Amino acid sequence: MASLALRKVISQVPRNVLYLSTRSLSKNLVDTFSMEHATGLEKKEMMAKAAGNENPFDMRVYKRGPGTKTDPNIIPSAYEERLIGCICEEDATCINWMWLEKGDPKRCECGYWFKLVDAKPL
Amino acid sequence: MAKHTHPFHMVDQSPWPLTGALSALTLTMGLIKWFHKMNPNLLMLAMFITLVTMIQWWRDIIRESTFQGNHTSIVMSGLRWGMILFIVSEILFFASFFWAFFHSSLSPSIELGSSWPPSGISPFNPFQIPLLNTAILLSSGVTITWAHHSIMENNHPQSLQALFLTIILGLYFTSLQAWEYWEAPFSIADSAYGTTFFVATGFHGLHVIIGTSFLSICFIRLMFFHFSPNHHFGFEAAAWYWHFVDVVWLFLFISIYWWGS
Repeated sequence: MASLALRKVISQVPRNVLYLSTRSLSKNLVDTFSMEHATGLEKKEMMAKAAGNENPFDMRVYKRGPGTKTDPNIIPSAYEERLIGCICEEDATCINWMWLEKGDPKRCECGYWFKLVDAKPL
Repeated sequence: MAKHTHPFHMVDQSPWPLTGALSALTLTMGLIKWFHKMNPNLLMLAMFITLVTMIQWWRDIIRESTFQGNHTSIVMSGLRWGMILFIVSEILFFASFFWAFFHSSLSPSIELGSSWPPSGISPFNPFQIPLLNTAILLSSGVTITWAHHSIMENNHPQSLQALFLTIILGLYFTSLQAWEYWEAPFSIADSAYGTTFFVATGFHGLHVIIGTSFLSICFIRLMFFHFSPNHHFGFEAAAWYWHFVDVVWLFLFISIYWWGS
């Protein structure tokens, strides 16, 4: 390994040590190289972000809509159920958690309605 | 096909935490046996188990990150915090040795001849090898930054050259320290001076060796193109660690080698 390392270094010297690299890569090129290098979930995340999706894993807190029975808050999920937390009032100091299942909308104890809909996993 | 509905890395079951615990126990027992019976065989076995655990565990992490792509941005953030907290704990580790040094040196006891350095101790001249070592570590800080910028610019040849130079400077530092330990006119058993000097500089030297190994692993991974311009945390962690070791040396040089002599 040591001789391999030394050979690798020495083979690069004459071509590159003599000039100064002042050119810097554009942000675009750095992203392209890095995305080509990546794989798996990391790559899927990078591609989603490059496509303009800043929230590929659906991690953000949703702003509640009207939340009536006929117009419930829509919650996406790739599964049959999702644990959701409702901040019932603006100045509430706790979060009310409940399981939301696919099918009929469900009401939080504060009165707001929620409905689970299908979402595609990344 | 697994559903990717979250960005976290759910790790597989692994035997390495268990073999790591085994190696830690064997290491303490091996040291005690070595100290008391002058017999290093259990210690050697412990070093072997430790080495095997480290190689296999970190090999698995390289597979999970570079080849399986499990390290999403949020996983990287967790690794960053882990490394930051680890280095903070290391800072506190060294703080205790500086505490011991200043405790003994700021009001030297009557047993030390009420002077620092204690009577009978002839310390090193800080402007010979220690100053050279300062220059070496500061230069290695420059070359590692050069390596980092080359990685970010996708300049593979220069990143290899700069990282190679950094490792050589690390080895040069270690050999000079070894030479100076060999030449030292005092030992770890020579008063609070020898004790604080060798414990503080010895643990620093050990950290330089660990840092050089960390950088060498990065060099091998760099040769195999494991690092991309915006994902190379293994290298960044090694660089943070190297800078930490560098800064500890500056404090050692200023307080123990220079002020303390």
